[in-house]
Amino acid sequence: MGNDFSQPQRQSIIGIFVMFVYSLQGYAKALGPILVIWIIKSNELNKSYLLAGTLAVFAVIGVISYFKYLNFTFYIDPENDEFVISEGIFNKTKTAIQLYKIQQVNINQSFIQRLVGVYELAVDTAGTNKKEGDIKAISHELALDLKARLLENKKKRIVDDLDIDQIQISSEKQVDADVPFIKIGFLSLLKIGITSNYVKSFFVLLAFFLTLSDHIKQITGRDVLRDENIEDYVDKSQLFYAFLILFVIFFLAVIVLNLVKTVFKYFDYKITRQKGSLLISFGLLNTKSTIVKPEKVQITTVKQNYFQKKMNVLELKIKQANGGKKEEHKSAIEIPGCDKLEKDAILKLLFQKIPENGVMLKPNFRKLGFSVFLTIGLPLLGFYFVRDFVLTQMPAIDYLVVIFVVFIGLIQFFKFKNNRLFINNDFIILQSGAWDIRNEIIEPGKIQAITVSQLFWHKNINIGSLTLHTAGGNIAFQLGNFTAIKQYVNLWLYEIETSDSNWM
Amino acid sequence: MENFTNETIDTTQLPKFEEVQFTVLHSNYWKVTLISLFVLFLIMGLGIGLVLFFNEELLQFQMEIIVAYFVMLVLVVLFSRISFNKKGFAFRNHDVLFRHGIIATNTLVIPYNRVQHVALHEGLVSRFFGLAKIEIFTAGGSSSDIEIPGIAKEQAESIKQLLMGKIQKEL
Repeated sequence: MGNDFSQPQRQSIIGIFVMFVYSLQGYAKALGPILVIWIIKSNELNKSYLLAGTLAVFAVIGVISYFKYLNFTFYIDPENDEFVISEGIFNKTKTAIQLYKIQQVNINQSFIQRLVGVYELAVDTAGTNKKEGDIKAISHELALDLKARLLENKKKRIVDDLDIDQIQISSEKQVDADVPFIKIGFLSLLKIGITSNYVKSFFVLLAFFLTLSDHIKQITGRDVLRDENIEDYVDKSQLFYAFLILFVIFFLAVIVLNLVKTVFKYFDYKITRQKGSLLISFGLLNTKSTIVKPEKVQITTVKQNYFQKKMNVLELKIKQANGGKKEEHKSAIEIPGCDKLEKDAILKLLFQKIPENGVMLKPNFRKLGFSVFLTIGLPLLGFYFVRDFVLTQMPAIDYLVVIFVVFIGLIQFFKFKNNRLFINNDFIILQSGAWDIRNEIIEPGKIQAITVSQLFWHKNINIGSLTLHTAGGNIAFQLGNFTAIKQYVNLWLYEIETSDSNWM
Repeated sequence: MENFTNETIDTTQLPKFEEVQFTVLHSNYWKVTLISLFVLFLIMGLGIGLVLFFNEELLQFQMEIIVAYFVMLVLVVLFSRISFNKKGFAFRNHDVLFRHGIIATNTLVIPYNRVQHVALHEGLVSRFFGLAKIEIFTAGGSSSDIEIPGIAKEQAESIKQLLMGKIQKEL
């Protein structure tokens, strides 16, 4: 701990070189196309001009790197316990990070940094994917020292946490013994497999067949998809049945594909309870395992469609706050095929109680109107202009358009009908979806920030939108009663600000 | 535990975020916006000019292009003005509010105990006018970060200090 970080200091002097190479890479990437043209044309150009130009560019980047180096300082402010980084030549930025907010400090070395023997130190706080503080060139000794200083507070906290954990473990041991595992049986997987992801698999299969027919066309020189060809094989009166059979086969293929995928991915799905966390493992060929810590859970989604409801299966999706690790950022943990009792057991473990719906907020009918305008009105307008042209190619286009309008209209109607926001004391539940009905559950304590928004022509009819930002994503509810929304926002803000709830 | 009470919260008596008085941005920030727009349109105009100079086929649409250019200029300036007028911020005891938008009015609220870190940014033009931008980051991703531009440098510094103090106290 020999180094004093309380005074602003620069990076290693050799950092100029590192910054030079990084800037060069950056400019090369940005100006890549122009550079290529230059190099191609370089035969016509005078070689000495080219050399002079290159040297000038290098010199400019060198000077920029030097000034970058001069203006980049970092220090730990002992008074406020914060880590401060100042950077920028013309546009100056001063970033201050509270020491106890720092989650991770990573020391890395890229190839260029290895060449000159310096290291990179990256400071990471919770939530966002990008690095908050990044020191490009620092000696190894200094890096280790700084890391130790930055994480000093963290260690203290971890020790505290451990104490609490141990107490909890001892009291939970007896409980653990009699908590049963949840095992997702083969039957549940089959149920989920045949009832979910139709649309996704449909497009996967469609893409597959299109590429296949494309390949056949390339090889045989014949277009399989053209009507004439099909008519060669089938009688014209039977064409309709042929299409019907083709459709059924296609549909069956979608289901089989889904089934196989689901079974392969989630075979032998086991959930174990361990020290208050969920331990999950699954997979047929390669077994995956993850841990879900209840305090890190941000958004829990319960997904169920009509068939699944009849068969008493549903899908659960859990989004956790990421501790700065990239691979954890976007991936949610999925629990396919639990029944109602198992769902309740899992939710009880995550929240200590089963979320209930509470007060219901509905969106205004204008929401339906707007989405109908976007998904039906605009396409129809477009169709109106090209109709005459398309009609000569495809006489049946009008029927297709009617089918499209009815189909999309139904989807939008059910989407609107299912769009609800439920609020009670401990939970906020957003219900959405047309066929697959999703219930996204969050606790008010997990909210990071709240956005309230209103279009100026909605002021008189008193409707507006609400977005709740959490570390696991956003939850948005549009065009609800604005007075109610504002009232709940005030209540949530009060709850967040008066308690010191741990959101991760 | 004897002091523990758990009374029903009267939600109508809670402090209302919608009644907060917002502080508008420094009037010099409008100049900063105008200068940045001027530079942007100057570069764009030069680009269009060069294209017109080298491409004679486009030259017959000269009039239309110039009209479109100025219509766009007027629209962008108009929208920037609306956006500038609407931007406002407020620091309450326990949270920070930021209002922004052009056709919609968005109000973003961040409680101090959810702030991850704070940064002070000075752009080249802003620095000339002695203005700075405060950036407040949360763990909720970029959509929940607040960027308040156009605050006098000293005021920005003191706001940053205030924020850092608040964050610490909230722990």
